[in-house]
Amino acid sequence: METSEKLPQDIGAFHRHRVGIGSWFKSGDPWIWLTATAVGACIVAVLGLLGLIAFKGLAHFWPADVVTIDYESEFGQFRVAGEIVQREFIGRDQYMEASSSASQIEGDQAERWMLKSGNRKIDAPDFRWVYRHEIVQQVKDRDMIVFERSEWGNAYGTLVDIKEQGRSVAPDNPWGELQDRIERVSDLRDQSRRIQKGSINRINYRLEKLRLEKRNRELKGIVDHSDLENEREQLNAEYGVEERRLREITNQLDRDEIEIQIADGRVSTIPMRNVIRAWQPNEMSLWSKLGHYFSSIWIFLSQESREANTEGGVFPALFGTVLMVLLMSVLVTPFGVIAALYLREYAKQGPFVQLIRIAVNNLAGVPSIVYGVFGLGFFVYLVGGSIDDLFFKAAQPAPTFGTPGLMWASLTLALLTVPVVIVSTEEGLTRIPSELREGSLALGATKAETMFKIILPMASPSILTGIILAIARAAGEVAPLMLVGVVKLAPTLPIDGNFPFLHLDRKFMHLGFHIYDLGFQSPNVDAARPLVFATAFLLVLIIVALNLTAITLRNRLEARYRGAML
Amino acid sequence: MTNTNPQQLPGLSQRRRLLDRATRHVVGAGGVAVICAIALIMGYLIWVIVPMLAPSSIKHIGTYSQRVDQTLYVATDDTFETTTLIRSDGVVEFRDTENFEVIQESRVADGSIVSVKPIFPSSDSYAALVDDQKLVFFRVAHVVRFIGDERSIENSATTLFEDSTIELTDVTQYDVFRSDTTLRVALLHNDGSLVVHEYTDVDDYFELEEPRQLALPPWNRSVEDTEIILGPRGRWLYEIDTSNGAYRLLNIASIRRAGDIHEGLLASEDDQFISATPVLGRYSFLIGYQSGDLEHWSLTPSEDGTILRRIREFKYRESIAKVVTEHRRKGFLAIETDGLAHLGYTTSHRTLATIDLEQLPKVIEFSPRADRLIAVRENSIDVYKVVNKHPEISWSTLWGKVGYEGYEEPVHSWQSSSADTDFEPKFSLTPLLFGTIKAAFYAMLVATPLAIMGAIYTAVFMSPGMRKLIKPGIEIMAAMPTVILGFLAGLWLAPIVETHLTSILLLIIVLPFGVLICAFLTTFLPRVVSARFDGWYAALSVPILVVLAYLTLSNDAWLSNLIFGMDAKLWFYEKAGIDYDQRNALVIGIAMGLAVIPTIFSISEDAIYGVPQHLVHGSLALGATRWQTLVRVVLLTASPGIFSAVMIGLGRAVGETMIVLMATGNTPIMDINIFQGMRTFAANIAVEMPESEVGSTHFRILFLTAFVLFALTFLFNTVAEVVRQRLRSRYGNL
Repeated sequence: METSEKLPQDIGAFHRHRVGIGSWFKSGDPWIWLTATAVGACIVAVLGLLGLIAFKGLAHFWPADVVTIDYESEFGQFRVAGEIVQREFIGRDQYMEASSSASQIEGDQAERWMLKSGNRKIDAPDFRWVYRHEIVQQVKDRDMIVFERSEWGNAYGTLVDIKEQGRSVAPDNPWGELQDRIERVSDLRDQSRRIQKGSINRINYRLEKLRLEKRNRELKGIVDHSDLENEREQLNAEYGVEERRLREITNQLDRDEIEIQIADGRVSTIPMRNVIRAWQPNEMSLWSKLGHYFSSIWIFLSQESREANTEGGVFPALFGTVLMVLLMSVLVTPFGVIAALYLREYAKQGPFVQLIRIAVNNLAGVPSIVYGVFGLGFFVYLVGGSIDDLFFKAAQPAPTFGTPGLMWASLTLALLTVPVVIVSTEEGLTRIPSELREGSLALGATKAETMFKIILPMASPSILTGIILAIARAAGEVAPLMLVGVVKLAPTLPIDGNFPFLHLDRKFMHLGFHIYDLGFQSPNVDAARPLVFATAFLLVLIIVALNLTAITLRNRLEARYRGAML
Repeated sequence: MTNTNPQQLPGLSQRRRLLDRATRHVVGAGGVAVICAIALIMGYLIWVIVPMLAPSSIKHIGTYSQRVDQTLYVATDDTFETTTLIRSDGVVEFRDTENFEVIQESRVADGSIVSVKPIFPSSDSYAALVDDQKLVFFRVAHVVRFIGDERSIENSATTLFEDSTIELTDVTQYDVFRSDTTLRVALLHNDGSLVVHEYTDVDDYFELEEPRQLALPPWNRSVEDTEIILGPRGRWLYEIDTSNGAYRLLNIASIRRAGDIHEGLLASEDDQFISATPVLGRYSFLIGYQSGDLEHWSLTPSEDGTILRRIREFKYRESIAKVVTEHRRKGFLAIETDGLAHLGYTTSHRTLATIDLEQLPKVIEFSPRADRLIAVRENSIDVYKVVNKHPEISWSTLWGKVGYEGYEEPVHSWQSSSADTDFEPKFSLTPLLFGTIKAAFYAMLVATPLAIMGAIYTAVFMSPGMRKLIKPGIEIMAAMPTVILGFLAGLWLAPIVETHLTSILLLIIVLPFGVLICAFLTTFLPRVVSARFDGWYAALSVPILVVLAYLTLSNDAWLSNLIFGMDAKLWFYEKAGIDYDQRNALVIGIAMGLAVIPTIFSISEDAIYGVPQHLVHGSLALGATRWQTLVRVVLLTASPGIFSAVMIGLGRAVGETMIVLMATGNTPIMDINIFQGMRTFAANIAVEMPESEVGSTHFRILFLTAFVLFALTFLFNTVAEVVRQRLRSRYGNL
């Protein structure tokens, strides 16, 4: 297989002894160049795309310097501070539309910078365009601090004062004091979250279970609920205790405030409880910037999102994607492999099996949205609705399984990817020389033994390839999931500490849908954009890694059979 | 695969035999189950679609002898458990639906009711003219209560507005409209004067305050024959002369000043007008004629302002004596003088079922869900069961042009839902099909040449080392989530294309010619150098492409001035009248093209690579150049494979959802223009499916579109697969 060069090279060279446009065209070489251009264009597109996503996605986490800019526009003189997130040139026409003072620009273009000036709720807007020719002065103030807030995005300003219960603390080392207090608030926040997500969540879950149990008994005609009432009262008492603890923490959280001075000189107060992190980008060394960079990436991967998903991390989406894909592969693997074994090893080969094979092949090409429609109609409304009628009468009219959820999403995607596994497994089975089967049978093994001991082990790499390809496809699918279970914000993860731990009826978040939602349904597109790129990069990374694994496995498989056949 | 049957071998232990048999059964059952599951998809889609085609029927289910000769109006509750009869002696009767015995009576007026009309557009409030001297308003309610698990219905008829009545003198005709807080009452007096009263800040439990009045110019017609009807949102007033079909349309949007008045005729010269019945929402009327014609006239904007215009007609045998309409859809029952009744639907222009009512009933109405018809005669009540789930649909409403209410001419339109309850759904699939084809067309326009040419170079000319990298590299792109391509297309590419339109269009010319010029320059290099390029053309073209693209894009303003003399968008708008939409077919073409390229590339590369070597060698040995060999031997042999690659690519382009969803405006327009968006079947499903009511016509139509997608792609893929299998056997024979 090493002679991939179909046409010998020297034929082209043969024609090259007389250079002239005519003879050059006659040789056909220009056409070959054109086909090469097509490949080149594809390479540029692929690399450009991956590069763009990688660059924009990774750049988001870098602690960019904060510049303080004085500029003079037709409306007066202004001073703003922020990160420069975009630089671009716009044509004169576009500039004229945006501004009336077109006379000042030289040439056909104006350069403008998009400044992320943050400070939402203090100073609007949080993103603004600054024209380069209007800038009077720009400096990097070393004292400039970026505050990452849990609400309203970043704040930019210099620290004026730290207040404890309304009284100024006036510390000797303000920066150190600030960091200490941020750490304290962060600890308190963790405690509060633990109570909310832990004990309070558990109590609520049990209360809901009690309500359902009571309803169940009513349906059965049992009137005595005293045991349930007792338990409920006990839970309510526990709830009261937890709630008091929570209130205490909230009070402590509200203790500190900080005062900052923003670029235009105004002083503003930020409650300390809103501050998640603070850093001085203009002061940081390369190393501390790197440290900050990686901790930002870690936060992105491990934390929940805030502010309608435009801030914070993507952990629930990542978790939902992985969990859904795992469930799907648990479902798809046995069925895909069994179907392939049936088609290749057990069914009588003939036109009917050939027809089924074509049908299975074709199903891989059926649009994913069609599976979504099927999943919604069949799984959710028909099967789910019936399950609710049979087993979850107490919860009605609220649906339990008769609504989109994790289980239906996994099942739908399993159905979507089962052709991939079948095709790949069958391919592996076909490659196994029939001498091996015959040899095994001749030595007295049963068909089942031949299958388990000879065929399946030999086909395992191709089965694995099929599963990986199925996972890669499932991880990137969004269209069917929009119909069968994905939501933009799920209040709880599908796995938690409450029995039965894995909640198949819950809705979940998904990286692909996160991208769609963030990019197109978000109220603040400018704020969301870097996060969309970061999420997209994460998703691409997962899928490319999975595919590369599959390709490597396939190559290894090929090498192995070359050995087996000798 | 083999005929050996191990069961027959001697000495096989019980356990092994059992295991063997169990495996056989498990694999067999599992295999069949998976195949059934796959068949289920198609089966289920059809199962949901089929009820749309089910015929409608109307069936007499019972006659109940009761004294009901005083009945003026009949209504039923939503679930058809209670019937409400409004009697001329001022009493509202509630009857069960088993035997139609009276279960409750409520007096709403202390006099005799001359006539009663539902307050438009509600279905539970009425206005009754009592003793020719006052208007009384009341509401009928059926509240379902649970005591324990015992279900009971509490019926009530209560007067509205704290028993407020409107005192009248010499009124012959009236109509009442109510929005949340406004009540409009139109009154026609014996002397021909026409007045509209408007009560504001209306609340059910407070008295009516002093109205504002609008006196309208009188119409020179006989008052006895004139009927007045308030139109959509109370902003229009129809005045119809029932003796000859002349009508007046008055714009009363403002209560301070009468608007335009249009006069017209609802009849043709040789046909006698019988009656005009408003269809749900009162945007249109069904006009019955002596000849048995039933015409549908709609409020339509025209050059002379808003008029009534005929949009379709139904032909029946005898004179149309009465028309009743459905409460929630645009359906109707047209009854001929001899009692033969036709169940029809306006939008789809269908007559769905026919039944003989034997004689014309005094009062006849649909139940709210239009699943029953209840006819009140002198001494009996007749109930008819109507099965009519999906009358909105016919082949011609799905694919053809339809005259909708308020449209000047028949159109293709997809507009499935709206906030208004009297909305006429527009279910034409043509704009969606058009959008699907348009998106796929532009995507294929970008993808096919690039992918096939790329496949040719990769399979035939590329050096093996590079091919090992390029092929999997491009194949990985096939797994690239389309949501990412869609998001890049919508948020990153679309603005760039908008601001760099000239240079983007120029790239199509600049890039190939630029590379060709550079390639020609290489022929001047010494042969030792240029011979090394062979097999690496693609890699060499990359930097050329990048530099050229950068140069073109960064000089967009200059280029656009040079070519168009102005901004390209402006030029297209002024010179060609082409409007520019930021998320358009060009962006879709590029983004979806990128999604399709790997599919076409991979399959056609396989086909070209598989062409038997000896054919190539033979051709070259006979003195053909590389290019001649390629075009006349290799491509010709591989052409079925390339064809199947294109088919599979097309299948993917047709069904792609996320890219279209994110990179177009999703407006279902029919405009071939490359700078406009579209809505495709797949995107339409993604947008509308989650909100669609289960089992509704809309739901089933979405399933139908899913099925169309399924069938289309299945067809493309089957053709491709069959062609590919033939090719494989041909390669074997060569």
